[in-house]
Amino acid sequence: MARSWLEFKTDAWVQWCPGCGDFGILNAFHRALAELDIDPSNLVLVGGIGCSGRITYYVKGSNIHSLHGRAIPVASGVKLANPHLTVVVAGGDGDLLGIGAGHFVAAGRRNMDITIILHDNAVYGLTKGQAAPTLPSWWQTKALAGPNLQDNLNPLLLAFASGYTFIARGYAYHTNQLKELIKEAIRHKGTALVDILQPCPTYNNIMTNKWYEERIYYLNEEDPEWNPVITSDLDFKEKAPRILEKMVEWGDRIPLGIFYKDLRKDTFHTRLEKVMPGYMKHPPATRPISVEGKPIADPWTVFKDRVVKKPE
Amino acid sequence: MVDLTFIIGGPQGGGIESAGQIALKTFVMKGYNVLGNREYQSNIMGAHSYYTVRVKEERPGSVRVPVDMVIALDAESVFTHYKDVNPGGFLLYDSGTVNSRPERIASMPKPLKQRVVEDLKSRGLEATVAGAVKAAEDAGVKAIGLPLRQLLKVVAERSKRPLSSVSKTINTMGLSAGLYLLGVELDYIKLGIKAQFAGKAKVIEPNIIAAEAAVEYVREVYGDVESLPDGPHKGREKMIASGNDLVAMGKLVGGLTVQTYYPITPSSDEALYLERHRYYELSEEAREALGLEKAGIAIVQAEDELSAIGMAIGAAAAGARASTTTSGPGFSLMNEMISMAIMTETPVLISVWMRAGPSTGMPTREGQQDLLHTLFSGHGDNPKIVLASGDHIEAYYDTIKALNLAERYQTPVIHLLDKYLASSMISIDRQEIDPSKAVIDRGMLVDNPGPGYLRYKITEDGISPRARVGTTPMVITGLEHMEDGFVTEDPVVRDMMMEKRRRKWETVSREIPSEEKYKYYGDPNPEVLLVSWGSTKQIILEALNQLQEDGVSTGFLQIRFFNPFPAEEVESLLGSAGKVIDVEQNDLLQAAFVIAGYTGKRIKHAIVKLNGRPLYDTEVVYGVKRILETGEERVVVSGGA
Repeated sequence: MARSWLEFKTDAWVQWCPGCGDFGILNAFHRALAELDIDPSNLVLVGGIGCSGRITYYVKGSNIHSLHGRAIPVASGVKLANPHLTVVVAGGDGDLLGIGAGHFVAAGRRNMDITIILHDNAVYGLTKGQAAPTLPSWWQTKALAGPNLQDNLNPLLLAFASGYTFIARGYAYHTNQLKELIKEAIRHKGTALVDILQPCPTYNNIMTNKWYEERIYYLNEEDPEWNPVITSDLDFKEKAPRILEKMVEWGDRIPLGIFYKDLRKDTFHTRLEKVMPGYMKHPPATRPISVEGKPIADPWTVFKDRVVKKPE
Repeated sequence: MVDLTFIIGGPQGGGIESAGQIALKTFVMKGYNVLGNREYQSNIMGAHSYYTVRVKEERPGSVRVPVDMVIALDAESVFTHYKDVNPGGFLLYDSGTVNSRPERIASMPKPLKQRVVEDLKSRGLEATVAGAVKAAEDAGVKAIGLPLRQLLKVVAERSKRPLSSVSKTINTMGLSAGLYLLGVELDYIKLGIKAQFAGKAKVIEPNIIAAEAAVEYVREVYGDVESLPDGPHKGREKMIASGNDLVAMGKLVGGLTVQTYYPITPSSDEALYLERHRYYELSEEAREALGLEKAGIAIVQAEDELSAIGMAIGAAAAGARASTTTSGPGFSLMNEMISMAIMTETPVLISVWMRAGPSTGMPTREGQQDLLHTLFSGHGDNPKIVLASGDHIEAYYDTIKALNLAERYQTPVIHLLDKYLASSMISIDRQEIDPSKAVIDRGMLVDNPGPGYLRYKITEDGISPRARVGTTPMVITGLEHMEDGFVTEDPVVRDMMMEKRRRKWETVSREIPSEEKYKYYGDPNPEVLLVSWGSTKQIILEALNQLQEDGVSTGFLQIRFFNPFPAEEVESLLGSAGKVIDVEQNDLLQAAFVIAGYTGKRIKHAIVKLNGRPLYDTEVVYGVKRILETGEERVVVSGGA
């Protein structure tokens, strides 16, 4: 191990409620970064708004605390400008799947090399316990005035349909397993989702630690042959039914682990390099744009299509 | 002195725009300056659209009606424009449509049908193309019917192609006949066609044949015409470009490295034009200095405007020179992020191409209704730079300037443009967009921030050194924060940070020179002072000349920066004039509202245009004279089809 996880600690007071699943996520994330030997200067953690977004102050990095629902666009902009950075998004299920759902879907179409950490506790914590997109209908968590009338959505299926090339689910209190999932997600070249189930001890009195522990299991422990890696179209055809079967499994038993890892698609920066060779070497963040304060392009040569000349 | 204006109209998808562009190129090669404006509907095919071309020795400042010639390629165009021709001018129409009646034309708007029928009835004419042509003739217009179907057959025969494959040359036929009548030699028309379809021999050939056939026909029925002399610019290399093009050019030359957008009229063409040139060759000097052949601009079509601006902000935080482009409705969605860009002190350029609202309004029509919207955009106290370009050339340089201001002051810059600038084209001389006149200033962007870097360091001028995200630990945040970016709600720090941002704004206000913030034209201490902003500039300048010729001492105050606003200067200028008249294309008189807010002075008179068509110089002259005569507070002008 090249770095200590302490290198990623900041001196900010961590303001989450005692027993919050976010502590487990923070711990796993700190250790994953250390084990991956990522330089905090080159790490960009982009947070949304909510309890989860505060993680941008608790992980040493070059971070952006953005707006509710907009962490993915901001992170995409960072990665677009500098594809050499490690870019991670942290947001809750309200943030990423509610107000920011459009961006969550669109991210899959680009396959930027970004890891999305979904703090999935089925409630809006920071606004005091409203129902979030992963809370099942007819459940009534303690801050609700009545049962939840809207159905829950399945983040794994949504990511799958959107084109994510890495889809995993972890549990906030299983920090060792979670650390490994986060490491795999960051290592993966493409858009990666880690859906992290987490109790909210303050507002979600149904999905408690006990509730989760009675249901969760690991895909690779139950099935040592479990192999979510897709390398060809044929591979996909063969494995997809089983993968989907596991993605929809919910209720008495909830699977955890890596569901899907698709190696067939180019990342967005590879695509850009194809249409603009030199993009990786001189990415938008650092490429020269002037010489001694003067432009590097002459409009009369670049925009020949607008120049009127007598045809020969 | 040559000063010609004509309209070519027909169905959308019928090559109206390319006919307009052939005309522009023809006249530029003949040595003139041109202005072309495209009016179209929110429709892909079939609805009426038209292109106005104005030709002068000097750059024309305005399109206008009535015109010297209308080329009506279909019946609807006749009904739309038969009253738009000057006495002695030409109305060209398809003689195959003489019996067409408004009620049979599905694409024609019902209110227009009604107006046409009533008008022709009141003149005792039948409600047909023949009737409309007669009405034009009664007004002294020379009407010439072109047998377009028969001429198509001639083209098919001569080019040995099936009729269906040459049907797209109808626009060229109409245009060529018209240009002939204006005295343009067939050879020039052919040059225009070749320039428009350069590299597409299969398109050029039938179009040339069509031009020949049309000119032959019109010469036979009308006789010889006096040639138009060559203009003073003959042989000079020029560009013909729209405002959309020029803003894209400004972005590229200004060193933009990331652009994001979500499709919306009238901004999309800017993004598309930039995308076409996103991977460009460096100038010779830059190639030598940098050892780099080509550079790229990363352009992403986002899933919506929230994402478009979010990505631009993320890219800028990482050190890119970033912008996004949109129109009023898209900008509505960007509001929350504007506020975040201010709090996070992130440079981003937002090009806002205004169109006629409210709501979806008239998406392809002119409007200047988003001044207050952009000026007051975003929640919380949040001053941002808002500047409005007056014309095409200003739009080019302002784009480069806006990119500099954004980075220098680490703030969003809103660049106001509009539909008229977007889709009108002008001819441009080399020295007018000279790269040596452009400067690139990235402000306090630091490459090696070093240990202990503070993103929001308190400084005297309010500007903190800006390191790129991903080069050193930091936090950039929309929450209130300490110097290191860490969140706090401490009241003392809050005051300190509000004060820092205020000092930055004072720096912005102080450093942007007064002569950038507004321009003054015309007579000092005039009898009439016109106050306006945005794309009305050249139109008003042209009107100003006319008013001066007519003996009305006139001045024109063009406001360019609405934030920071030149309050003292404007206040003193308003006091120096006899009568002050506000000229705007919005109902609320938004600039006058801002002026009143800053100076306490209410402008009592206004000339307003709201119908979605560009303002005409003739309307400004009319409005001024009417206000002088009657003392009316508000004159609404409404020219254009």
